[in-house]
This record gives sequence, structure tokens and C-alpha cells, in this order.
Amino acid sequence: MLGLVLRGLATRKLRSALTAIAILLGVTMISGTLVLTDQIDRAFVQIFQAGNAKIDVVIKQKPPFENVQTSVYLNATIVDQVRKVDGVKTADPFIQTEGYLIANGESLNSTGGAPSFVFTSVAEDLNPYTPIEGRLPEASGEVAVAKEIAAKGDVAVGSKQQLATQDGIKDVTVVGILQYGNGDTSLGGSTTVLATLTDVQQWWALEGKASYIYVKAQDGVSQGELKDRIRSALPQQDLIVQTGREDADEQAGQLNDLIGKIIRYALLAFAGVAILVGAFIIYNTFSITVAQRTREFAMLRTIGASRRQILASVIGEAFLIGLLASVAGIVLGLGLAWGLGKLFGAIGFGLPATGLILSWQTVIVCLAVGIGITVLASIFPALRATKIAPIAALREGATLPVGRFAKFSPIIAVIIGVLGIAGMAYGLISSGSTTGRLTTLAGGAILIFLAVAMLSRYIVRPVVSVLGMPIGAVAGGVGRIASENAARNPARTAVTAAALMIGIGLVVFVTIFVGGIKASFTGAIDSSLKSEITVSARGFGGTIPAAVLPAVQGVEGVQTASPVGGTAVQIGNGGYALIGIDPTTLPDVYAFDWTDGSDALLGTLGTDKALVESKIAEELKVKPGGTIDVLSISGAKATFTVVGTYTDPTILNGIVVDQPALKPLLQSNATGLNTIFVRVADGTSVETVQAGVDEALKQFPTAQVQSNQEQKDQAASGVNTILVIFYALLALSVVISLFGIVNTLVLSIFERTREIGMLRAVGTTRRQLRAMIRWEAVITSIIGGVLGVLLGILFGWAVCKGLESDGLVFVFPTSQIIIFLVLSIVAGVLAAILPARRAAKLDVLAALSYE
Amino acid sequence: MSAEPEAAPVMAATGDVVVATDLTKIYGEGDSEVRALDGVSVSFPKGQLAAVMGPSGSGKSTLMHILAGLDRPTGGSVLVDGTELAGLNDQKLTLLRRDKIGFVFQFFNLLPMLTAKENIELPMKIAGAKPDPEWEATLVEATGLGTRLTHKPAELSGGQQQRVAVARALLSKPAVIFGDEPTGNLDSKTSGEVLDLLRRAVDEFGQTVIMVTHDASAAAIADRVLFLRDGKIVRDAGRLSAGEILDTIKTLE
Ligand SMILES: Nc1ncnc2c1ncn2[C@@H]1O[C@H](COP(=O)(O)OP(=O)(O)OP(=O)(O)O)[C@@H](O)[C@H]1O
Ligand SMILES: [Mg+2]
Repeated sequence: MLGLVLRGLATRKLRSALTAIAILLGVTMISGTLVLTDQIDRAFVQIFQAGNAKIDVVIKQKPPFENVQTSVYLNATIVDQVRKVDGVKTADPFIQTEGYLIANGESLNSTGGAPSFVFTSVAEDLNPYTPIEGRLPEASGEVAVAKEIAAKGDVAVGSKQQLATQDGIKDVTVVGILQYGNGDTSLGGSTTVLATLTDVQQWWALEGKASYIYVKAQDGVSQGELKDRIRSALPQQDLIVQTGREDADEQAGQLNDLIGKIIRYALLAFAGVAILVGAFIIYNTFSITVAQRTREFAMLRTIGASRRQILASVIGEAFLIGLLASVAGIVLGLGLAWGLGKLFGAIGFGLPATGLILSWQTVIVCLAVGIGITVLASIFPALRATKIAPIAALREGATLPVGRFAKFSPIIAVIIGVLGIAGMAYGLISSGSTTGRLTTLAGGAILIFLAVAMLSRYIVRPVVSVLGMPIGAVAGGVGRIASENAARNPARTAVTAAALMIGIGLVVFVTIFVGGIKASFTGAIDSSLKSEITVSARGFGGTIPAAVLPAVQGVEGVQTASPVGGTAVQIGNGGYALIGIDPTTLPDVYAFDWTDGSDALLGTLGTDKALVESKIAEELKVKPGGTIDVLSISGAKATFTVVGTYTDPTILNGIVVDQPALKPLLQSNATGLNTIFVRVADGTSVETVQAGVDEALKQFPTAQVQSNQEQKDQAASGVNTILVIFYALLALSVVISLFGIVNTLVLSIFERTREIGMLRAVGTTRRQLRAMIRWEAVITSIIGGVLGVLLGILFGWAVCKGLESDGLVFVFPTSQIIIFLVLSIVAGVLAAILPARRAAKLDVLAALSYE
Repeated sequence: MSAEPEAAPVMAATGDVVVATDLTKIYGEGDSEVRALDGVSVSFPKGQLAAVMGPSGSGKSTLMHILAGLDRPTGGSVLVDGTELAGLNDQKLTLLRRDKIGFVFQFFNLLPMLTAKENIELPMKIAGAKPDPEWEATLVEATGLGTRLTHKPAELSGGQQQRVAVARALLSKPAVIFGDEPTGNLDSKTSGEVLDLLRRAVDEFGQTVIMVTHDASAAAIADRVLFLRDGKIVRDAGRLSAGEILDTIKTLE
């Protein structure tokens, strides 16, 4: 039987190859993702291990609650206690903050969303950076820069430059050029400047504070031993003492959770889509080939093959195709990971060169998924093959018997569809965990795709009658035959179209979803802001210096400059933003959308009352009159009485209090100022005022001045980048579905060889024949495109409605939908190229005498 | 795609619609060389029903394919309705078949998803031409398919299917109709119906028909019977009776 399977594969090379491609691309993506994320994971570990190579013990502050992005600081003076511990050779406070060099007027900040670091310089025997030219900074006003920056801005040792700090622009002298670790590892696209501890403490309002205390052990004292000694000298509960190795692994793990895992699961989700599309194609191909081989199977039965052997031969074929495709996919995945690594490098997001890692887990996952899906998709066709009676071998034109469950399939499809809708509804409405909700949502979507795929065979006929007319008008008799051919095996056309439907459906969905996010932001700016200009923090932990406010207020033409600040707090188990506002000026720049309350409440907030955004109020189950207990990131606690609720999931999304109430909850380095909304006096030009504010804030590089339109554009461009990435990832699924169309066409043409011979004999030109096949492909792709667009709109609408309280707005993407429909037609035309060529090349005589 | 099919041949009744001169067709090379046609020269005048007979492998199909522009000879020339086939590229040859030649195949070769009427109109639709409704009505009448026109091939008998195929070949009023064993797949009753139709096409509509057949009773309705052996015409006779035909065949085998 195996011999037979192998022979079968060999004689049906093209078909086997096309089937394999359907699953190969999905496996490639899984393999590429796993290899790449393993590499990222390893890179993070390497970066932090290189950073901590010289450090034996790290002491840090325990944040008052988990999952905060804000840095916490410890009291730097404990370094004196540490230095006294027996076995300590060196101990230095270390601060990690954000800032960048301005060289010859040009900002040398990071690219690709990576941070722009400023680190304090620690003793040479602790410092992960070593000078390759010059020395480490020692005196106030001295800095040393990483070699990547020096190369970017032509910064020479001894040159006078400027440093952008939280406290404004400072004049500095470059005294050294540095390399990280042994020089092989870069920190992604980030930039690094080293300055002295006292300068950093002063310029970032961190007097007496440090991020960490770094400790070096004396010779002969192990990391673990030193850690234990320091722990007993520093028993404070809110301090964490770790070995250098533990700290490196923890930081790598945290960063990996933040970046590596997200990339991994996002990419795997798209790979899953690709695999699902591949499964449709495999199912279809096997269904078609089993039908075409009816006589062959019947003949095998007459010569004594059992049903089991028939089953085994079909599934064996699937197994082999799955195996070959998976192995090829694993190898191609390595290439994909390599290519993506290069791509990241090209866009300034370079990963350290760690080499490609093909782990056993990757191999096993890829083989299991690739082979598993292929075999699974072939089971139904294989079972149908076993139903073929031996007598069919003797009958001319014997066809596959109808399956026992065929008549129930519409009912089953409807049940699946209803389950899918229920899953989506649960995912959107329930209040379970995010992961659980996303899983049910995705599962629901898959079931709906399946149900529509199963039911779409019933719409093939009607769609063909509708499309037949225009196509007949354009393409004449050839168009008519193409339409009829498309409708000939509705199930076949439907499943082929369904594969494309999934890709297009998700493309439409993400378009609507991302459009909804964009619209929520623009909508919020339009409806809530009465101000025309916004001053906000550019990085730097979201803080701008207090001196910015008077500077803005002093600009001519500014009617109101209203300061807004905030901090991260924990209420119950959730993290929220506590927002401090100025009650007298806020109503002039911001319009509250009250659900319970009015602007009059603002003046009454005092130090113990708060307003809560309505969605958050729902989560916290508080109403006006209730109280909330907050724990700030600084460790301070406070209780507020809720006096009103309003809706704004975008701009003031948190708990609003009066500024004096916020002050005691801030960390010492925070100014309590993140944003200033600027309203321009009537009759004054916004551009002029904006230019004035820009001028007034020249000294404050951390403050960013934007008009409302610029804010919208910035948000839109960020969101558009994500959209482009999504499109690129979904394009793979669309490409796979194209192979499905190619495959179905090739198999159909093979079936219709004699008809093609006849058509050519009675005067169909090669060009007409190609057009005929192209039209058939286009009809299939239009069915897939239209179904995909409809489902995509449905999903997009459902998700936007479900997340309405998070600000998501449903916007009908008319122009994009037209583009996607045109693209699906183009896809059909592309898919037809190869099959049309093959058909046109057929020799008329050979085709005519073909049996 | 030219919009209009060329009009029915205007050649004088005495003019030859198909003229083949010194045709040879060689398959393979060296030891395995097969001379399927070995210097065949033959002409077919307009309005004639000709039958080509001969033992299996004598070159009947090869001759017909070459005359119909489906295959190219190794040597010699073919003129169809005044056009020399040699030197025509695939496109021109296809258009010539479309406009000047009709086909009736052994396996009816209808498109299963089209109705009888649509199958009849198929070549004209492909040519982008409108069938002449009067002529179509006449043909439908002659084929006796009137009530079955909206049926799919699967719902028609073999004889009916082949009559659809004949009507399809006749609709564009080609210069000549070729048939390769048009009754080869039919029983004697239904093959009678088809032969009758071919005979009427010649007698009533002035068509020219050249058919390959193994069936002596089919050849007996022809105006002329050609006998092939080993790629050569060994006898070119006028109307013969079935008995005379069988006698000739015996001498050939
Ligand atoms: N494509 C081909 N390649 C090689 N030889 C061929 C080919 N086609 C035909 N022949 C040979 O040419 C000769 C003539 O074949 P042809 O099909 O014309 O015979 P025929 O008279 O139609 O026979 P039959 O009555 O069996 O249909 C035969 O010997 C055949 O084997
Ligand atoms: Mg023959």
C-alpha cells in the first residue's frame, strides 16, 4: 500500500506540490515565529547578562503593586550601609532614566520605539560600558556616549554638546566613547548616554534616589554568599536583593513578556489563520481527487483491497504530504526568521547576532501541526473513498456516492454557525479574563467561518446567475461557459472561495477594528477638547518640568493653559490612572460628557473627592456617594469619595481629582504635570500661538507641542503602522488561498480535458480558453471576496459594538472595501495564470482522445 | 474575435471544398518510424457526402485530422475552401476551424452543463456571432429535437446527443463537416437517425460532409467511398452498396 501511495504522489506531482504548499506556508510561519522569538528571548538574556557581567549583587525597590510601567526608586543613601558589609568590594547607586544627546543642534534619540537611555556612570569595575576612546564621566557636566551615537552624530571626544533632560537642555562635554559589554551586543535601536550620579539626580529631580545599588564582591566571595550577607544587613521588606544573574534573568524575562511573548502569540495567531486556510485547501483537494479516482478505488476494491486499505492509502498520502510540507516549512521558517531579523535591523531595531536557534520544541510543534492538520483535513474525503463499491469500476462515469450525512450538512452548518455567534457574543459581552474572552471570540469566529463555508455552496448558483450576465456581456460565449463551470461543482467552488473568504474577512475586520481605534481617538479630540494646542511629555516617564506651565501661560494669544498631571495607582486589583486637574481652567479647555454630575462639581473636589470615568466606575462598582481606596506607585495611600461620573475612554480615562489631592501621591521625581491644554484667545491665529509656544519651550526638549490635527496624525500614523503589519501577515493567508484556487482549477481542467479539446476543435482560440479559465477563477474569487467582506464587516461591527464603552467606534470603510473587492478580483486573475497556461497548451488531438 | 462568421462557401458547385495534395504523415524516427499517411492526394467537391474506410491503423483518423486542421502533415498541402493550411499559425488555424469547419465526434463531446440549445449555439457564441434564427429553427426541425432543447446532455439519449452535435456543426454553415466515426458509439437504430440527418444536410442544405467510419451500412449512404490501407488510398469509389463495401474491405485485410 505504501508503494502505491508513493507512486500516486509521484504521478500527481503538480497536485501534490500545490497541496503541500497550502500547508507548507503555514508551517513556515509557525517555524519562523518560534525561531525568531527564541532568538529574541535569547537576545534579551544576553543583553542583560552582558550588562550585569561585572555585577554580583543588585539591590532594588519593590514596587507597591505589580504590573506597573513606571520606574520606582530607592533611597540612594543605603549605599553607605552596603559598603560596610563584609565582602563588598565596590557599591554604587545607579540610575536609569530617559534623555538624549543634542549634537550640533541635532537630536540623537532612538529609533523604532526603543528607549533613549541616560545612565549614571558607576565605578569601572561595575560598569557594563567600557570606554573605547576617552574615559567615563567623572565631573559635573561630563558625559560619555555609546559608539552607535557617536557614529550617528559625528560626536568627537572633547566636543561641547547638549543633553536633553527632564529639567531642560544642559550643556555638556563629551569625554568618552563607549561600548556595551564586549562590543558585540547592541541594545536594539536604543541610544545611551552616561552622566555622573549627581548630575542625573539633579536634572531628573531624583535627589537622594537611585534605581539600583550595584555591588561588586571581593575576590573569593560568591554572588550567593554576598547576597545573603547584604540581605541580613538590609532587612527592609520593600527592598529586593538579587544576584547579578538573577536580576539579569528577571529583567530579560520581564522584557520578553512585554515584547517577545506578544510578538510570539500575535504571529502564531496569524500562522493559525494560515493553517486554517491551508486545511480548507487540503480538504478540497482531497475531496476532488477522491472523486476523480472513483474508478481507481473501485478497481482496487475488485482486486481485493479492503475499505481499511483504501482509507489507509488516502490518509497515508495526506500523511506524506503533511510530513514533506512540514519539513520544508521548518527549513523555510529558519529563512523567514533570518529575513525578519535582517528586516528589524534595517528599520533600526537590530537584534543582537545570536544565531538562529532551531529547538526541539519548534520541530515537534511544526511536525505535529503540519501533519496533524493535513491528516485531519483528509479524513472526510478518505472516508468517502471507502464508500465506493467495487461495482463502480465497471460503470462508465461512476461518481462518488453521496455521504450518509450529506443531507444533514445544512443543519450541522447552522448549528455550527449558531455556536459561533454564541462564542463571539460571549467573548464580547462576558466579564471573564481577557485571554478567555479572546479565545472564545476567536473560536466563535472560526466556527462562523466554517458554517459560512459549509453553507456557501448554496449561494454559488445564485451568485453565478447574477455575475453571469455582466460576464457574458464582457466575455461572450466564453464567459457563459466559465460561469457554468464555476457552478458545476458548487461545493468545490464554495470551499475554494471560502479559503479566500477567511483572509479577506480578517483583512476587512482589522481594517474596521483599527479604523475604530483611530476614530475613537479623533472623535474624542473633536468632541472633548475645546483647546487647540496640547503640550505633552515626550517619553521621560510622561513628566514635564513645572516651569513649562508659566512659560506657556506667558505666550501672547494664550487664553487658557490648563495643567493636567497624573500617576499610576492601584484600586482593588486593577491598575488605573489618577488624574490631577485644575478645576478653574479645565472647563475652558475640556468638555465633560457627564453621566452623573456637572461642571459645578469641579470646584468642590477639594482633597478628598473624585470623579470617575463611567466604564471604570462600572468595573469598580462605585456610584456617586461611594468611596475608593487608592494605592499610589509611590507607596502612599488615599481614600476619595466619588461625587460624579463621566464618559471618556480616551483622554481623561481614569479617576479625576484636584491637583492638591494628587501631590501627596506622586513619586518625588514627578512634577505632577504631564499635559497642558492650551486654548487660544478668540481672533488669534492658532499657528501663530503654536509657534510662540514652540519658541517659549525651546529650553524644554521633553515637552512636545502639537495642534489637535498633529495629535490625530500622530495617533493615526502609529495605528497605520500596526495595520500595515496586520495586512502583511494576512497577505500570507490570502496567498495560500490563491494556491487553493490554482489547485482547484488545475484539477478541474484535468477533469475537463476532453471538453477543452472539443472547444479548441470547434474554434476556441487559446486566448479565449485562457479567458474562460480566468473568468472561472474570478467568479470564485468574487464569491470569496464578497463573503469575506460581509463577514469582516459583521465581525468588525460586533467587536466595535462590544467595545463601545472602551471608545471603539464603528466606521464603515467604504473605500477600503472597494479596494479589497478589486484586489480579490486581481487575486483570481493571478491564480488563473498557471492553470490557464496549462489548459491553453493542451494538444487538441491528445485532449480530444483523452479518457 | 471577428464578429461575423464568414458566409457559407460561395464556391461553384463544381469547385472543390477540400483539396489535399501528396499528404504524408510520419510518426517517430528511424526503426520506429510509422508512415500513417503515405502520399495521399484527394479532393472533395462541394455538396458531397464522402465516407473514408479502411482497416484499423490505416490512417483514416490521421487523414481526417490533417484535413480538418487539427494536425499538421509531415509533407504535402491542404486547401480548405481555398485557404492553404500550411503556414497558418495556431491562432489562424483555430479561426479557420471556427469559421469554415464543423465537427461531429465519436463521443458526442457536448458540454454537460449547457442545454441542448446552448450546445448547438456554442461555436457561434464563442465566435461572438448571432445564429440566424430561421436557419436554427430549420435545423431544430430537421433534427427533431424541438421538445428537448432545454434539456441537458445527461437527459438525452445517445442518438439525441449526437443529433445535437450535428446541429452544432451545421449551425454556422461551415464549408465542410468532418466526422470521425460519428455513429461509432451508437446502436443501429440511433445511428440510422444520425446518418439520416447527415444525408439531409447534404441533400437539402448543400453541405459537404466527410466522415470516417467502420460501419458498412453507414458508408452505404455516402456519395463516395474512399478506402485506405497503410496510409494510401487504395480505392476511390462512388456510391456503393453495403455488400460491395464489405467485399472491398475483405480484400484489404
Ligand atoms: N500520435 C501518434 N504517435 C505515433 N503513432 C501514431 C500516432 N497517431 C497515430 N499513429 C499511428 O499512425 C497509424 C494511423 O493511425 P490512425 O489513428 O490514423 O488510424 P485509423 O485508421 O484511424 O485506425 P482506427 O480505425 O483504429 O481508428 C497507426 O499505425 C497509428 O499507430
Ligand atoms: Mg481512428
